[in-house]
Amino acid sequence: MSLKAPQESRQESRQESWRAWARGLTICAGAALMILMLDSAIHALLAQTPFGGPRPNAEPQVGGIVGWLLSKQSEFYREMSATIRAAKSDGSAVWTLLAISFAYGIFHAAGPGHGKAVISSYLVANQETARRGILLSFASALMQSLVAVVIVGICAWLLNATAKTMCGAEKAIEIVSYALIAAFGARLVWTKGGGFIRALQAPRPVPAMALAAAAHHDHAGHGHDHHDHDHSHAHAQGHAHAHAHLAHPDHEHRHDDHGHDHGHVHDEHCGHSHGPAPSELAGPGGWQRGFGAIFAVGIRPCSGAILVLVFALAQGLFWAGIAATFVMGLGTAITVATIAVIAVSAKDLAQRLSGTKEGDGALFMRGVEFGAAGLVLLLGAGLLFGYLAAERVTCF
Amino acid sequence: MNIAMRRLLGLLWLAGVVALGANTAQAHPHVWITATSELIYAPDGALTGVRHAWTFDDMFSTYALQGIETKTKGVYSREELGPLAQTNVESLKEFGFFTFARADGKKEKFQEPTDYYLEYKDAALTLHFLLPLKAPVKPKELAVEVFDPAFFIDFKFAEKNPVKLVGAPAACQMKFQRPNDGTANAQKLGEQNFLNGENSSFGMMFANKITVECP
Repeated sequence: MSLKAPQESRQESRQESWRAWARGLTICAGAALMILMLDSAIHALLAQTPFGGPRPNAEPQVGGIVGWLLSKQSEFYREMSATIRAAKSDGSAVWTLLAISFAYGIFHAAGPGHGKAVISSYLVANQETARRGILLSFASALMQSLVAVVIVGICAWLLNATAKTMCGAEKAIEIVSYALIAAFGARLVWTKGGGFIRALQAPRPVPAMALAAAAHHDHAGHGHDHHDHDHSHAHAQGHAHAHAHLAHPDHEHRHDDHGHDHGHVHDEHCGHSHGPAPSELAGPGGWQRGFGAIFAVGIRPCSGAILVLVFALAQGLFWAGIAATFVMGLGTAITVATIAVIAVSAKDLAQRLSGTKEGDGALFMRGVEFGAAGLVLLLGAGLLFGYLAAERVTCF
Repeated sequence: MNIAMRRLLGLLWLAGVVALGANTAQAHPHVWITATSELIYAPDGALTGVRHAWTFDDMFSTYALQGIETKTKGVYSREELGPLAQTNVESLKEFGFFTFARADGKKEKFQEPTDYYLEYKDAALTLHFLLPLKAPVKPKELAVEVFDPAFFIDFKFAEKNPVKLVGAPAACQMKFQRPNDGTANAQKLGEQNFLNGENSSFGMMFANKITVECP
C-alpha cells in the first residue's frame, strides 16, 4: 500500500470508506429490519390466551385499509358459528360456510404465527423464485390445515379429550414449530453467513476497473450507472434483464448436473462476487430446505381453525368443519403467496438497483440474504424464547 | 450518493414489504364476551371489589365444554363445571382479570377472585366471579375499565343494566361509557403505536369505562 502512487491510494481510501459506509448501511438496515420483525415476535408474546383457548397469533395492528380488513375478518369469523348451526337443518348453509371460510382465510392471511414472515424471509435468503414461493405457500397452508384436522380428529373426536388437553397438545406442537423455525434459521445463517463473509473478503475492483467490467458485462444486466444513455439503450438493458431472469431456474438445474463451471457462469450476473453463486445454495438443497420451511411453518395449526373444528364436531358436522378448514387454508395460501411474490420481487428489484457496482452490489445482496436468514433465526428464537417465558399460560 | 440513495430505497422497500408481511391483519377477536358488572361497596361507603358475570360466545362456549363428562347430555351442573371455572380464574390472573381500576388516578390492585362459578344456559357459558380489591378505597373519582389490551377478547357490556352499584353512598354518581366503533378506531390507528410497543393503546379503544364520582 505504501508503495502506491498518492492518487491511487487516495482513490483506494475513498473506495475503502465507501465500502465501510455500504457495510454500515447494510448492517443498520439489517438491524432495522430485524427490529421490525422482532416487534411482531414481541406482539406474539404479549398476546397470550386467557381461559386457555388456542393461542392467538401476533396482534399487531395497522391502520387504513388494513383496519377495514380487520373488521371484515372479525365479521366473517363471527358468522361461522351461526352458519354451522344453520347447516344442521339446512344443508345449503354449508356453501355459505365455505364462502365465509375462504374469505376469512384470505383476510386472516398467515395462520401460523409468523408463517408469511418466515416464508418470505426464507425466499429472500435462499434466492428462491416467485414460483417456488407460491408452491411453498400453498404447501405450508395445506399442511397447516391437515395438522388442525388431525389434532381435533384425534384429541376431540377419537379420544374425547378436554379443551385443556387439546390446548396442551397444541402448545407442544407450537414449541416444536418454533424450535424448527429457529433451527432452520440457524442453518440458513450458517450457509448465508459464509456467502456474506466471502463477499466481504472478495477483492473488489477499483472504480476504473469497475467501469470497464460494467461495460463488459452489460449483457448480463449490469452497468446501470449509465443512466444518461439514450432511451433505446436503456430499453435494451431491460431486455437483457428479463433474459437473465428467465435463465435463472435453468441455471439451478444445470448446475446440479454439471457442477463447477456453471457456477462461474452464473457468477457473471451476480455481480462478480467470488463468493458462492445463488444457484449453489438454491439448487437441490433449496428444495430440501423448502420442505424444511413447509414443515417448520405448517406444523403449527391456526387457532381459528381449531375452534371451528371443535364447534363443528359438537354440532355433529365434523365434515363441514374439515371442509371449512381446508377452504380457509386455501384462502390463507393465496394471501401468503401474494406476500411471498412481493417479497421476491422486492428483492429482485433491490438486486437490480444494487447491481450498479460490481463488488458492492454483490456484497449488498449477500448482506440482504444474510439479514433475511438471520431474521428467520431471530423469529424462531424469539417465538421459542417468548413461549418459554410465557410458560405460565394455563390451559383448560 | 445517487447509488446509495437507490440502495437505501430498495432496502427500505424490502424491509417494508417484509415487515408488512409480518404485521398484516391479525388483530381480531376470537372470543366475545357479554359482560355485566357490579361495584360492591362496604357499609362505610368504600369500594371493596367488582363482581363480574361474563357470558362467552357460542363458539368459545362449545370449545371450552369439549370433553367434559356430564350425567345428562347437554346439561352441565355447577359442580361439573367447577374444574373449568377454576382453570378460568387461574388463567385470568395473568391478564389482570381484564379489569383496570384507578382510584383518584392511582392504580388499584385486585386479590384472587372468590365466589367463582360457571353457568351453562342457552348454549352459552357464563363465568361469575368476585374480584376483591387488595384494600378498600374511598376515592372521589373512581374509574374501572374492562378490556383486553391485545383485543383477543372483545368485551361488550349487556344492553340492559350493564353496570350496577351495590351499596354505594347515595350521593355517588355512576357513568358508563361504551367503546367507540372499533372499525373507525382501527383505521385511525397509526403504525407508530406498535413500533413503540404500546399496543395497549389499541385495546384501550375497545375499553368499557365505568366512572363513579362521590362528593
